[in-house]
Amino acid sequence: MNHLLEIKDLSVAYGDVQALWDVSAHVDEGTVVSVVGANGAGKSTLMRAISGLLEPLSGDILFRGETLVGVPAQEITARGISHVPEGRGLFTQLTVQENLELGAYLAHVRPHFAASLDHVFTLFPKLKERRGQKAGSLSGGEQQMLAIGRALIARPKLLILDEPSLGLSPLVVRQMFELIARLHDEGVTLLLVEQNIRQALKAADRAYVLQTGHVAMQGEAAALLENPQVQKTYMGALD
Amino acid sequence: MLDILSVRLVVEIFINGVLFGAMYGVAAVGLSLIFGTMRIIFIAQGTIIVLAAYVVYWLFNTFGLDPYLSLVVVAPLAFATGATTYRFLFRKAAAMADKNTSLLIAVGLMFLVQNVISFVWTPNPKSIITSYTAVGFEVFGSRISVTRSISLVIALAATAAVVLFLRRTLVGKAVRAASENMQAAMLMGIDPHRVNAIAFAIGFALAGAAGVALATTYPFDPYYGFSFALKALIALALGGIGNVVGALLGGILLGLIESFSSFFISAGWADAIAYAVFLLVLMFRPEGLFATSFKKA
Amino acid sequence: MTREKRIIGLSAIIVAALALLPFVPGAADSYLFFLLYLFFLYTIIGQAWNLVAGYTGQISLGQHAFFGLGAYTAALVWSRGLFGAEHVYYFDPLTLIASGLVAAAFALVIGFPLLSKLRGDYFALGTLGFGEIVRVAFVKGGSYTGGPFGIVLPSSLYESLRPHYWLGLGLAAGLTLLIFWIRRSSLGLALVAIRDDEMAASSNGVNVLKYKLVAFALGAFFTGMAGCLQAYYLFHVSPEGFLNLNWTLYPILIAVIGGSGTVLGPVIGALAVTVVFSYANIFFPELHPIFSGLAIILVMLFMPNGIMRLRFRGRA
Repeated sequence: MNHLLEIKDLSVAYGDVQALWDVSAHVDEGTVVSVVGANGAGKSTLMRAISGLLEPLSGDILFRGETLVGVPAQEITARGISHVPEGRGLFTQLTVQENLELGAYLAHVRPHFAASLDHVFTLFPKLKERRGQKAGSLSGGEQQMLAIGRALIARPKLLILDEPSLGLSPLVVRQMFELIARLHDEGVTLLLVEQNIRQALKAADRAYVLQTGHVAMQGEAAALLENPQVQKTYMGALD
Repeated sequence: MLDILSVRLVVEIFINGVLFGAMYGVAAVGLSLIFGTMRIIFIAQGTIIVLAAYVVYWLFNTFGLDPYLSLVVVAPLAFATGATTYRFLFRKAAAMADKNTSLLIAVGLMFLVQNVISFVWTPNPKSIITSYTAVGFEVFGSRISVTRSISLVIALAATAAVVLFLRRTLVGKAVRAASENMQAAMLMGIDPHRVNAIAFAIGFALAGAAGVALATTYPFDPYYGFSFALKALIALALGGIGNVVGALLGGILLGLIESFSSFFISAGWADAIAYAVFLLVLMFRPEGLFATSFKKA
Repeated sequence: MTREKRIIGLSAIIVAALALLPFVPGAADSYLFFLLYLFFLYTIIGQAWNLVAGYTGQISLGQHAFFGLGAYTAALVWSRGLFGAEHVYYFDPLTLIASGLVAAAFALVIGFPLLSKLRGDYFALGTLGFGEIVRVAFVKGGSYTGGPFGIVLPSSLYESLRPHYWLGLGLAAGLTLLIFWIRRSSLGLALVAIRDDEMAASSNGVNVLKYKLVAFALGAFFTGMAGCLQAYYLFHVSPEGFLNLNWTLYPILIAVIGGSGTVLGPVIGALAVTVVFSYANIFFPELHPIFSGLAIILVMLFMPNGIMRLRFRGRA
């Protein structure tokens, strides 16, 4: 079977500092895949390489069988990958509505805008109330909802969420993972980056553990959750 | 106690300041757009305005085309030239992290264009005298020239058009988005080269409008563009970079500073005072005088 | 480092040969001799600009102010006899150093607020504003500065171009040597560190402001002396001739063509500019300024790192 996304021996540098070494991974259609690891393990670097914000040193990234290496970021978005970056990447000076409209910037997405917008507003009723407000005036949780909603407008074949729970209150974090479960049920393919490893493994089908730029462990998320080494290294203190 | 004569004088100085400042404002709006997406100060903006003024002059003298009517030709022509200039001169440099390359290309372009103008039309100052250049009307007892008033209308209309474009159209919103966060804009599928080219095209079209306003009201020479660009920069700094309406207001404020200081101090020092204000604003209020809620990313 | 040694040896031979050239009969009267003088002058102002822009990444657009300040210092000291009536002012070391010091003093005064507060484009614009203020001040200076006309010096003292040539060569070679030495010193390392990553440099304990100020003032010092040298050649110091923005554009052109941030880049750039300008001047005099604009654009488009190509990153 062909994978939706396949990463082969990817090495990436951030300026003069290499951040990823020979990383291989894959994402199948309809699944949720989590990439977990400590701060600075290279998780965000991997996501930025996939969405074209960083040029890899070597290796290949295949999306539906075609390479993404050398393809500009906006073209990768057009091919069906929506990336909600770390820090959310909202346009804070624009209104909620305008942010959502830009989610439908691509010509092939625009005709479905009204329907997608309805869908996003059913997922996040708060956004409908605040559509005229500047995005910068929203709370952290609302901003994260807007960022995810804006990415969903484009009806991506693959949705990348980079640390969606970062900086949110525990209640909102729970809502966030409920949302991820719901998107999973709707058949959205998700690549999830998280520092919150327990939650991320619970939400995922498969998972990769990154350690200083290498894949340290990989496999079924449920199995990793039970793996004593994972428990010891990443969840020890918490239990 | 002010007598009638000096009140009239102050009104006249005020109105002239506003009229001239509006031209700085239009130039500043163009700079603001280009800076927004490209993060460079397009120092050649003033020289493009002067070039447009020369084209208006040429159309008037060769074909007898009315300078205001020539806006119909000059603005679209400038728009296309702006997009082309981006494509061939700035596209490659825009992708570089080092913005100095773009800045220096703009410096080279300014140098090139002003000397081409000087070669084609000689370095001597030119002006356009139409049948209505001397016509004026009275407000509060002060005489106001028709051409300067039309220039003000052009400036206001051009700024309003840009604001509408940025607020109402999807592409305009994309330009605003890219100005705030280019990478996030790319993740929306927005092509950075497209928004950069649009910013350049509109910046040049505004220069075309400002060129018409300049050609009909004041004499101009090939080297005037540089000081014009500096004034536009001051206007931009006063208004706050990235703030379109602020840029226009900054231009008008600068026009007032100049016209009052050249009357009360001396014409030669007006420039130095303007630059001094500029330095002070750069250092103490880099977000501009009209910024209300400025958020630095 | 044999390649570097070879370059140093070759440079020393070239400098020595150039220093002896005026003794060749008739050499000092040729057009080439004048071009060499221009080449030295351009090397000085190019190196001086490069010291700030190439090594710290801060583009100064106010170099014409330093050039003019140096020239006006020489002219004022001379025309007012500030060092006494008996003093010889033509090619006077005291005047020369005073010209450099005045420019450097202005660089410190203006550089402190600008460099501590402004970065990138804003710094460039700030220096541009400063340059224009200086220009206006001299134009409006009345009888003290000679206004728009400027100050005329006694040109009857002119005998030949030899002293200008030697002084130009000495300053150009001296500055290049100084920069070569600076690059290997802690100052040079600090400057490159600042250019590459200011935040990192600052958090590693580099006093960013101090080093930038030193580079800025040193550049102004040599630019001011170059202004003095040119004043000894023209005998007429005016805003048009000395506070012209060309004196900011030329060094940029020179450093950028040669390769900014390299030791020999401005030397090669100065040579290229001298050749291009003089040929353009001979064959199409009216078109010559057009060429310089075109040259900047073409160089930036096709070799943004200049003729030297490689930038020195830290120690070679």
